[in-house]
Amino acid sequence: MKKSFLGNRTHLSDEMSLQITSMADIFIIILVFLLKSYSTGAMNLAPAKGMTLPSAKTDDLSVEALKVEISETAVQIEGQPIVDLQAFRFDGRDLQSNGSSIKLMKAIDIHRQRQLLIAKANSAVKVDPKIIILADQKAPYTTVKTVLASAALNGYTDFKLAVVKGE
Amino acid sequence: MSAVVSESSGKRGGACQDFEINIASIIDAFTVLIAFMLVSASYLSIGILDAGVAAAGIASNGNTPPSVNVTLEIVKGEKLVLKVTGKANNTINIEPKSGAADYVALTDHMKGLKSKWQDMNAVTLLADETVEYKQVVKTMEVLRQSMPVVLLGGF
Repeated sequence: MKKSFLGNRTHLSDEMSLQITSMADIFIIILVFLLKSYSTGAMNLAPAKGMTLPSAKTDDLSVEALKVEISETAVQIEGQPIVDLQAFRFDGRDLQSNGSSIKLMKAIDIHRQRQLLIAKANSAVKVDPKIIILADQKAPYTTVKTVLASAALNGYTDFKLAVVKGE
Repeated sequence: MSAVVSESSGKRGGACQDFEINIASIIDAFTVLIAFMLVSASYLSIGILDAGVAAAGIASNGNTPPSVNVTLEIVKGEKLVLKVTGKANNTINIEPKSGAADYVALTDHMKGLKSKWQDMNAVTLLADETVEYKQVVKTMEVLRQSMPVVLLGGF
């Protein structure tokens, strides 16, 4: 008779099951934490790739409004590129004497008209003057000013500047 | 995760009653779900700074306009110019301190104005064309400590 390799340990079950109950517990905790910290709002305010928002001490984000992004190469409305920029600057031919941009005015007007139509059809819906601006921290004020002027001329006068919450 | 069934059922008497729930598939589902959430989650905490437009009118408590209107201009080179118009007319130049805008002096001036003119509730912020947006936001943040409403102007 052969001697057992394990010496005194007489018998080991051939079927070995891995105890993964504790692992399941850990996963449940991670999942709950992730679900809690997950943004549940209808607004997705993640800035575009390569864009750095300025930081400031602010209130929580709890608004839903038209979203305008100003990056180094373009101005986007709701994620759609509207105007091309060259190193944060508008093309001179696109600018009007009142400081607004022709292309941007047109695009914002479409959103405004849509909002007016909805408000007309449904009395419970009111025309909203809010607009969220996500601008790169290096953008010159002249570019931001052009965007704000274009929005203000279309009735969007309540500016909400998106920033990274600081200490 | 195990359970023991106390009684045997039907004809299958004497079979092992100690069984284990197979949670391997649940672990698989959790792993996929956690991986997806980690990839798609945004860890940037975004907040909102309120800024009206100066042309739309300053929000006031009553019908009477405030005694003074205050305008702060950010000039290229980190210089700040505080202008008071109305019942008092005054221009205060706040020179930069060690290469950066002197926000401590700005806060002191704003607190002084606020205590002198209690009905003053808004300040209009202007900036040179080349001033970076970062500096505009920083100045707004400082102004909001002493003034509830900060409006953007210059257009």
